[in-house]
Amino acid sequence: MSQTTRRGRQACIVGVGETPYAKWGGITDSSEYQLAVRAVLAALDDAGISADEVDGLASFADDRNEATFMAADLGIAELRYSTMSWLPGGGGACAAVSNAAMAVETGQADVVVVYRSLCQGQFRRFGRGPGNTAPGPVGGGAPKPRRTPGVRGARSLLEAHVAFTMPFGMFGPPIAYAMVARRHMHRFGTTAEHMGAVAVSTRAHAQHNRRAIMAGRPMTMEDYLASRPVSDPFRLFDCCLESDGACAVVVTTAERAADIRRGAVDIVASAQGTVRGFGHGQYSNVSMPDDDYSSAGARSVAARLWGRAGIGPGDIDVAEIYDHFTALVLLSLEDFGFCGRGEGGPFAASGALEWPGGSLPTNTHGGSLSEAYVHGLNHVVEGVRQLRDESTCQVRNAETVLVTSAAGVPTSALVLGRR
Amino acid sequence: MGDERFFPDDMPMPSANAETAGWWEACVDHRLVVQRCLACGTTRHPPGPVCPACRSASAEWAELPGTGTVYTYTVVRQAFMPALAGTVPYVVAAIEPDGGGGVRLVSNVVGCDPEDVTIGMPVEVVWEDIAPELALPRFRPCTGGGSAR
Repeated sequence: MSQTTRRGRQACIVGVGETPYAKWGGITDSSEYQLAVRAVLAALDDAGISADEVDGLASFADDRNEATFMAADLGIAELRYSTMSWLPGGGGACAAVSNAAMAVETGQADVVVVYRSLCQGQFRRFGRGPGNTAPGPVGGGAPKPRRTPGVRGARSLLEAHVAFTMPFGMFGPPIAYAMVARRHMHRFGTTAEHMGAVAVSTRAHAQHNRRAIMAGRPMTMEDYLASRPVSDPFRLFDCCLESDGACAVVVTTAERAADIRRGAVDIVASAQGTVRGFGHGQYSNVSMPDDDYSSAGARSVAARLWGRAGIGPGDIDVAEIYDHFTALVLLSLEDFGFCGRGEGGPFAASGALEWPGGSLPTNTHGGSLSEAYVHGLNHVVEGVRQLRDESTCQVRNAETVLVTSAAGVPTSALVLGRR
Repeated sequence: MGDERFFPDDMPMPSANAETAGWWEACVDHRLVVQRCLACGTTRHPPGPVCPACRSASAEWAELPGTGTVYTYTVVRQAFMPALAGTVPYVVAAIEPDGGGGVRLVSNVVGCDPEDVTIGMPVEVVWEDIAPELALPRFRPCTGGGSAR
């Protein structure tokens, strides 16, 4: 491919869209799949691109709304590209965008829509007892546990692996990552107030964002500290929302982006993956060396990301950091080099993450803690808004945004830039 | 040993595959084991088809003494299943078993006040017999009497 053509095929994000967000079980008039379709169409409408032009679809986190159904139901003329990232859960949000970018840059497709729809009210909520049971009823409710005692045949690798956690009452992410937070506190002196700084600043940002589930519910440090304990050291407000909703982003080439009405955002660099052993069963990191266990597990991704982008953490104007749990934001800030090892807590407590005054305004939409839990694709949406001057917590003259995906699992990240 | 119950009957039961079945079978006999590569000696957990260090498929179940230390832990205070309403607060911990070559096990610390659990605490295995074909290794503070087998 010639140099000119290569530049012409540089991947951009040209549209973002989302459905309304609600607390889990709050959306009862649309199915999860209908929400996925609406988010895709909203993103295309935002870009001013017809569904007739779409030739690729990408998602992650085992999204139930398969691309082939989506393609047929949207009347896509020719599906040329479809991928599901294998990075677990929210680890794959930036990877799905990266996969879309690689597809357009290599000429496999011209317009790829990345989407994620998640209605926890219509399906099983995460971390609610046995992970190997049938989905709960619409509207939530705990699944029925299997009562037959004894070891039985696993139907999947995952099922054989959660056998090493579930019978011991480690049902889900809050318990697993509370143990990571505990280790970080033990090693580095991280405190509840350090974690609370993340919760409070993120909630403050959500007060400006009408889409945020927690808009209209401001929170002080005292409120945070008074919230009920879930799994020490995590309180309720250390944990992200559980919600219903969908969002999508449209990826295409710079050439096609030239006449996009809202302006295109450059995908400057992306990286995904993990290091040896990380991501293996038993909650992915339990047997990792101490330095990896008490980290976000993203240091190798960060190194490759900065290398490809040709910039470093000091060049970032806004960060959208995956926030399933407050403490893991601190660990991601360390892994991506915004502060030293073990210094994530004091960094957050210094006010660095606050908009508008902080040195690194973070999760300016309210994140998963206070906007919605869409496995972090909404963090990509917000990164795009910052670079189009459309954020409800707009950072003035923002030129470069870091978006990261889930911490504590094999993950991915993006650097987005103003065109 | 084994008569004491720490968790309700409604707890999820484990599933096993070709790689992990041997570990669960050892539990029934109250043997705490870890998979060890016969070619290079590297241990791994959960068990897997080949050694991640040298890719050899030959491995053994190395029996451990049953003692270890708490690497990290959490006190679970929310009942994530209704059946656990009477069990919370309970401790989930990553245990570094002695002789395990660095692997850690997710388990529980039982037999003490959850508030007394600390990182670095010495613990020993205590077996909970769930059914004739299922026993689970949980841990309690060391009583000083060596293996609790």
